[in-house]
Amino acid sequence: MSLNNLILLTGRTISQGVALEGGKASRENVRAAGICTFDADDFKKLDCLVGTPVKVITDYGEVVVYSTITEEGPHPGIIFIPMGPWANQLVNPSSQACGTPQYKGMKSKVEVVKNGKVLGAIELIGRLKEA
Amino acid sequence: MVEKVRTVKDVCCPFCGTLCDDLEIDVDLKTDVVVEVRNGCQIGTKKYFSSNPSDHRYTKPLIKENGEHKEVSWEEALDKAADILVNAQRPLLYGFSSTECEAQSKGVVLAEMLNAILDNTASVCHGPSLLAIQDVGASLATLGEIKNRADTIIFWGSNPVHAHPRHLSRYSDFIRGYFRTDGRNDRYIIVVDPRNTHTAQVADKFIQINPSEDYELIQAIRAVLRGSELDVKEVSGVSIDDIKELVEKLKSSNFGVIFFGMGLTQTSAHHRNIDTAIRLVTELNDYTKFILIPMRGHYNVTGANQVFAWNTGYAYSIDFSRGYPRYNPGEFSSVDLLMRDEVDAALIVASDPGSNFPAAAVKNLFKHPLIAIEPHKTPTSAFADVVLPAAIAGIECEGTAYRMDTVPLRLRKVKDAPGECLSDKEILERLIEKVKEKLGE
Amino acid sequence: MAEIKLKIKKKLTFPLEADSITPDNFVGKTAADIKKLPLFYATKQVTIGDFFDVTGKSTDVANTKIIIDGDVSNVKRIGENMTGGEIVINSDVGMHIGNHMSGGKITVNGNADDWAGAMLQGGELEITGDAGHYVGSAYRGYWQGMKNGTIKVKGKVGVESMLWAKSSKPSNMWPTLYCGSADAFLGIHNHGGTIVVEGDVDRCAGADQAWGSIVIKGKASRLLPSYKKVGEVNEVQLPNGEVIKGKFIEYSGDHTITKETKGRLYLAA
Repeated sequence: MSLNNLILLTGRTISQGVALEGGKASRENVRAAGICTFDADDFKKLDCLVGTPVKVITDYGEVVVYSTITEEGPHPGIIFIPMGPWANQLVNPSSQACGTPQYKGMKSKVEVVKNGKVLGAIELIGRLKEA
Repeated sequence: MVEKVRTVKDVCCPFCGTLCDDLEIDVDLKTDVVVEVRNGCQIGTKKYFSSNPSDHRYTKPLIKENGEHKEVSWEEALDKAADILVNAQRPLLYGFSSTECEAQSKGVVLAEMLNAILDNTASVCHGPSLLAIQDVGASLATLGEIKNRADTIIFWGSNPVHAHPRHLSRYSDFIRGYFRTDGRNDRYIIVVDPRNTHTAQVADKFIQINPSEDYELIQAIRAVLRGSELDVKEVSGVSIDDIKELVEKLKSSNFGVIFFGMGLTQTSAHHRNIDTAIRLVTELNDYTKFILIPMRGHYNVTGANQVFAWNTGYAYSIDFSRGYPRYNPGEFSSVDLLMRDEVDAALIVASDPGSNFPAAAVKNLFKHPLIAIEPHKTPTSAFADVVLPAAIAGIECEGTAYRMDTVPLRLRKVKDAPGECLSDKEILERLIEKVKEKLGE
Repeated sequence: MAEIKLKIKKKLTFPLEADSITPDNFVGKTAADIKKLPLFYATKQVTIGDFFDVTGKSTDVANTKIIIDGDVSNVKRIGENMTGGEIVINSDVGMHIGNHMSGGKITVNGNADDWAGAMLQGGELEITGDAGHYVGSAYRGYWQGMKNGTIKVKGKVGVESMLWAKSSKPSNMWPTLYCGSADAFLGIHNHGGTIVVEGDVDRCAGADQAWGSIVIKGKASRLLPSYKKVGEVNEVQLPNGEVIKGKFIEYSGDHTITKETKGRLYLAA
C-alpha cells in the first residue's frame, strides 16, 4: 500500500533528544528517530500494523523507517520524522541563498515495505562515504 | 553516615537554549561517575549520565588507518590535524554550539589564521532569525520578564514540550510570576502549528495552520491590526473571524510574547517568516507591550553568535579567505558551501553535521579530510580522519554559556573528564600552536 | 570601442573572485598591465594573467568593452563598482555580477548566479538565461538596495529579487527589473522599484511593499491576503514613463505597512 501527496515535517521529539544523548549509534536512537509518524486516519489507508517499515520518498531521496501513529494529531496529509540521519535523507538541501536548508514542508509519498530494513545511524550515514 | 556522593548544586544544564540553572548532580566519590540528576528534564539528565565512561565515549585521540580508528598520542593526532588544515585551500571550521565561550573564541583565532570559513549551527537553525533581526530589528526581553509579566504567550512553529522540556514550567506557562501570581491561570497560551502538538494540547488556543503558509497568515494579522478589511475569507487554513479574534486578544494583552522555532526558520520562507513576525511584534507595541524570543536549540549557540560577533562583527557564516571577515549566508554558509563542493577540509567542533546536515551535503563533507573534536561516537566522528576526544563543557569543564534570551550563565565542572580527554578550549589552543608552527610564524 | 578579450584558461575547483575585472580598472592599461591585476582564488591572491589569456588594450572607461570567453560560471564579482563601458560574458557567470554598478552595460549570454546586479546604482544588466536569487537586491543589513538602472532577465529570477529597492521621484531614479518569471518574495520591502514579469510569479510577490509597481503578465501562485483589489485597468503607466498595455486587475498593497498605500500590483486579468 502507498500514500501520495503528503507533506513531510521534521523536528525535535523528546525521545529523539534522549536517544541522541544516549548514543547515536544505539538501537534506542533508531527507535526514536528512525520512525515516521502518521495521522491516525491516514495510517488506516496504509493497511498495515504499527511498526511496519515504510519507505518515505521525496524529490531529494528515500529512506526506510518504522511507522507509528501520532500522538500529536490529527494532521491529515502530514507525516513527521524526528530530526536526524533518517530525516536528512529526505530534506531539501537548497537554502534558496539564505543559508538554511528546507527541513520542513517537502512533498512526499510513502510505500509499505514489509520486509524493509531500517538501518542504524552509523550504517545509514556510512553509505554517504564513498569507498 | 559516610558520604558516598559529592553533590553539586545550581548547575547549568548543557543541552538546550533554556539553560536551566537549577540542576543538582550527585557524583560518586570513589568512581567519579554521575549517579543522580535532580531537576533536569529527561534530555539534560541523560546528557549527564552519558558523560560516564561507555563504549560510545572517546577517551583517547584516534587517527583513521585502513578504515579503522587507531589510538594514537595527542602529539600525533594534533600534528595530523594541523597538517590537514594547513594544506587545505578552503577549510571549514564548523559547529561550536555545544561548547563554552572561551573555546568559541579560540575557534575565531584558528579560522583567521587559516583564512578559513567559520560557521556555527545557527547556519541550519536560527540563522534566519538573525538575518531577519539584521533587516528589521527586534523587540526582545529576558525570560525573567516573561515569567513575571507575560499574560499572552504564543508558541509559533515551536514545540517546547519536546524541544525545551522545562521552558513551560520555569518561564513561560505554569510558573507563578511577580505580576502573574496565579501562574498558569493568569496566562493565555496560544500555539500555532500544522500539528496538534503536545504543546498545543496544553494550550488555551490551538491555531492549526497549513504547513509552510505562516508568512501569509502573519501578513493577514498585520493588515487586520492596521485596520484593513481583507478581501479573503480564509488565510492559510485560518478563518478571517479567527484572525480578527486573535488580533483583539493580542491588542488587549498586558504583556505578550511570541516564542518561535524551526516551524518558521526551516520552512521555505525562512527568514522572511521571522521578518514579518518581528514587524508584527513591533506593530503590537502601538497597543501594548509585546516582545519575541527565538527558541534557540543548542545551549550555547547564542554564545557562539555572540563570541563570533564581538570578534569579527558577524554572528555566523563568516569567510576569512581574503584576510578579513566577510559575512554572507547563502554564499559562506556551511551547507551551501558543501553543496557546491567548495570545501576541501573540515574541522567539526561540538556539533554533529553527519546527523543534522542534508544527506547530499554530508556526502561532500565526507569526500575530504575531516577532523572531529567530539566526546562521543556520532555519525560525524565515526567517519572522521582524526578524532580529538573532548571533555564535555558544563559537565567536565566550566565556562560561560548564553541562554536563548542572551543572558550569560556560568557552566560548572561537576567531575573530571575520563581518559585523556581535554577541554575543547585546550584542544583548540594546542591546534593553534601546531598550525602556527607549520605556517612558520 | 576598444575591445579587450579575456579567455579563461584554467578549470576552477574553487570560486575565483574577479572584482578587478571592470572597464574602470582596465583604463589606460595594456594587456600586459591587465594581466598583473589581482584576483582571489580560494585563499590566495593571484593575477588575471594566472587565469586568463588577455588580448587588446583599453582607452577610456566609456569606450572600453571587455569580452569574456570560456567557462566563468564560478567567477564572482565581475563588474563590481563599474561606472561605464561594457562587459560581455559568453557563458554562465558566478555570483555578484555587476554589483554596485552605476553605469555602463553588462550582458551575460547565459545564466547568472545569486546576487546579480545587487545594490545597482545605475547602468544596465542583461541576462539571456536565468538568474539566481537576490537579483537587484540589497546586501545583508542594508535597508536600501537597487536605486537606479535596469536589469533584464529573459528567464527566471530567484527569490527576493529587488529586495529593498528604492526609487527617487525628485532625482528621477527608477530602478527597474524586467524578467521572464519569478520565484517567491519578488519585490519584498519594495520602496518604489518597478518590476515587469512576462510570465508567472511564485508566492508573496510585493511582500511588505511600501510603494512601487509590480506588473505580472502571467499568473501568481497565491497573492498575499494583505493586498486588496482596487479595480481593472486596460493599461499600466509605469513611473519611468513606460506604458504597458493589456487588461490587468489592479491591487493595492502591502496593507501590512500602511492602511492606505500607493503600492500597486497588477495581475493579468
